[in-house]
Amino acid sequence: MLPILTLLIIALPWIGAACVWLIGDSRPRLLHTLATAFSVLSGLVALSVLPFATSEAVLRVSLGGIFGDFALVPDGLGVFISVIATVVGSIAVIFAIDYMKHAHQLARFYALILFFIGAMAGLALSSSLLFTFFFWEITAVCSYALISFHNDDPNAVAGGIKALIFTQVGGVGLLAGALLLYAYFGNSEINTLLTQHQNLPPQVLAAVGFGCLVAAAAKSAQAPFHSWLPDAMEAPTPVTALIHAATMVNAGVYLLARFYPAFESIPGWRVAVMTIGVLSALLAGLMALAADDIKRVLAYSTISQLGFMFYAVGSGAIFASQFHLLSHSIFKALLFLSAGAVITSLDTRDLLKMGGLAKRMPFVHVMFVIGSLGLVGLPLANGFFSKELILEGGLEHGPFWLYLIMLLNAGITALYSVRLLWMVFWDKPHGAQPAHDGMPAMRISLVVLAIGTLTTWLLAGNFGQLLATTLPSHHVEAEGTMTLVEEIFTASATWIALGVILLGFGIWIARPAFASLARVLKPFAQSGFGFETVNQLIVRATKRTAALMQVTQTGQLNWNVVGILAGLFAVLLILLQGK
Amino acid sequence: MSLSLFNIALVGLIGLLGIGFYGLMASRNLIRIIVALQIMVKGALLGLIAAGQVNGQVNLGQSMALTVIVADTIVAVMGMALGVQIRARLGTLDVRALSRLRG
Amino acid sequence: MLLFSLVVVTLICAVQAIRAKQLITSSLWLALVSALCSVLLFMYGAHLVAVIELSVGAGLVTVLFVFAINMVGDDPIETKPVPPRWLGMGLALLFIFLLGWYVLPGSIVSSASAVVEQPMSEVLWQQRGIDLVVQVVLIFSGVLGLLGLLAEVKAPLEGSVASEVLSRREDEMKAMESQYLSGQETSR
Repeated sequence: MLPILTLLIIALPWIGAACVWLIGDSRPRLLHTLATAFSVLSGLVALSVLPFATSEAVLRVSLGGIFGDFALVPDGLGVFISVIATVVGSIAVIFAIDYMKHAHQLARFYALILFFIGAMAGLALSSSLLFTFFFWEITAVCSYALISFHNDDPNAVAGGIKALIFTQVGGVGLLAGALLLYAYFGNSEINTLLTQHQNLPPQVLAAVGFGCLVAAAAKSAQAPFHSWLPDAMEAPTPVTALIHAATMVNAGVYLLARFYPAFESIPGWRVAVMTIGVLSALLAGLMALAADDIKRVLAYSTISQLGFMFYAVGSGAIFASQFHLLSHSIFKALLFLSAGAVITSLDTRDLLKMGGLAKRMPFVHVMFVIGSLGLVGLPLANGFFSKELILEGGLEHGPFWLYLIMLLNAGITALYSVRLLWMVFWDKPHGAQPAHDGMPAMRISLVVLAIGTLTTWLLAGNFGQLLATTLPSHHVEAEGTMTLVEEIFTASATWIALGVILLGFGIWIARPAFASLARVLKPFAQSGFGFETVNQLIVRATKRTAALMQVTQTGQLNWNVVGILAGLFAVLLILLQGK
Repeated sequence: MSLSLFNIALVGLIGLLGIGFYGLMASRNLIRIIVALQIMVKGALLGLIAAGQVNGQVNLGQSMALTVIVADTIVAVMGMALGVQIRARLGTLDVRALSRLRG
Repeated sequence: MLLFSLVVVTLICAVQAIRAKQLITSSLWLALVSALCSVLLFMYGAHLVAVIELSVGAGLVTVLFVFAINMVGDDPIETKPVPPRWLGMGLALLFIFLLGWYVLPGSIVSSASAVVEQPMSEVLWQQRGIDLVVQVVLIFSGVLGLLGLLAEVKAPLEGSVASEVLSRREDEMKAMESQYLSGQETSR
């Protein structure tokens, strides 16, 4: 039973994608129904596998040679990510029923989303680094296709290509790691790496470790690879909520958490991970303070929160990082989908044209506030518990100065969240009347996510138990929920953090005093602190090289034959060498 | 230099392959390209049969050669049908006109 | 000696096939190459394939070529080949040289198999049965492909030709309409 169910987590969305693709655009209502049905079904299947998680492989197909075995391992980490992918995925699809009501090419949209959901589940469930890479690449392609979904908009296409290039550069690091593993161990199984990493020569282990770090940083939009995420906001909002808040960007954190036991002994690796996390959180927080596009603010916020998760992984608090991953997926999806409701209602993404929506869109207002509670980390929202756990873990196992900067980041988070709430909901109205207060399908998805934000922290104990029992190499310490809650409320770090958050609120209220500082920093923040120029240079260099290579693609048969002959010559020369 | 039986066939094979390749590179007309492909396949047949004879397994070589003949004839037929269509649509058999796959 | 001279004559015919100015001549030289090849195959002991090669290569394919050339016409293409002739010739000669260097010098030890090989029919139908399935599939797909290709002549045209044809059809329709209307009026 378990093998079939596990396989279904991946197969159901893919079958759904094929069905939707084959039906085509002529019957939108059927497409909406099918997409919702398949994604909800796969979510239910994933949830049903959750209690049976095991660290044994349940499905093993031998493919021979370098491919090794294709095996699915539904351990705690894997099933947890699959559950997030499928459940948040189905919520995003439900939201899309109203968001994409009159969109063209609906079949392509739903097919890509379902394909992505399946691939994300496969990424988390596969037991071999090579197949993880394979699914990783599928998610990258789907992300690109969905970002540039409105392919007649040059901004969207540019955003998509940028995302693709950045994440592919990271993917190379992952592939290099997989091949190195295969060269030294004869298979690229993750389990082999976790249990036998001490047999690798230190330089090779370091190469694999830093290669995976680069891949993870690129995928999770951490500095210096962070600038693709804000430009990816051209995607339709359900796509942003699913891919760029709840699932794909978490793949990097997942990768690092999965490989932590193998890499923690590499000198400098943990500090590197923590530094990347802290730096990204700081930069992104500052950029969120200066951004004027509602989705961009949320994008920077995502980068910042992922920085928190990287910080947690680096300091060894695996459970805290995954717990925050869960909380963040839910409250960030809630925030993005609420923002989507606002965007469709006002037909603009510009913060300067919003305001006064507290009275005009009360439902969305409440949803957004709940999401912000999670983001800022105030009690009773899941974000509070997970963020406090991270800060505690960082204080115990990491350098003190990094902890101080992280505290600062928590304060900055509060600052930009209240800025966002102010500019959209509490300020005087600067724009048009909103067209609606959340259409029915939107409301359903928002309510589900809001309930999740307020309640998922209750599962912390069970979650910890799950991780501890199914991840033997990770040595996760599991405690019951109430123990955790007690710990959090009694730790002094918690109250310090809450104090910093209140300080953040206070700074906003007293903002005229900081106006001159803000004016100086704003242009730097908006230009991405110089990273943007570097990226532009890299993109232009790549394009120029590609244009140079275009000369070889003449499209004429005779030249193609010359090419074939040239290849033959190369082969013959190599063979002659060996003679 | 005394050439063995097999070597003579190899000379034929290499020669036909080379001539075929030259024909592929120098021909503009689609029909000529099909002629060049046919020449190359004749060479391949020679090679197959000669290898079978050297190994003492001529029948195995013959069976494979049969498949090659069938495949190659179908290629020729499809190529000529394509040629007819291209002539009807584009008005010319020039291979240069078929360069829509340009990078 | 006979074998060697036959091979040389085959090569000469192949060269002539490439060099011929007219397409029909080229295909006739190809037929000659096929026939000589079939003789060579016979001399190497492949009787069955030699006969098949003769009838298919020298017969069927040549007839196909003649048909096709009739349909498309024999107009010469004026412009020079794009990879310049010397490049093509040089590459082909280099290929022959390299391949010859790789293949020829080694002495081929004929591993005279101790096992006497089974008769042709058994090898063909039993051992290589899969090949026959492959051949059937190939022929099937070839026929389907042909049908698809040739059926397109009746499909709606695209491009500039289409607009001409369509406008001509429109004119014809208008002429027919006016005829009908005028016919109606006179009959009233």
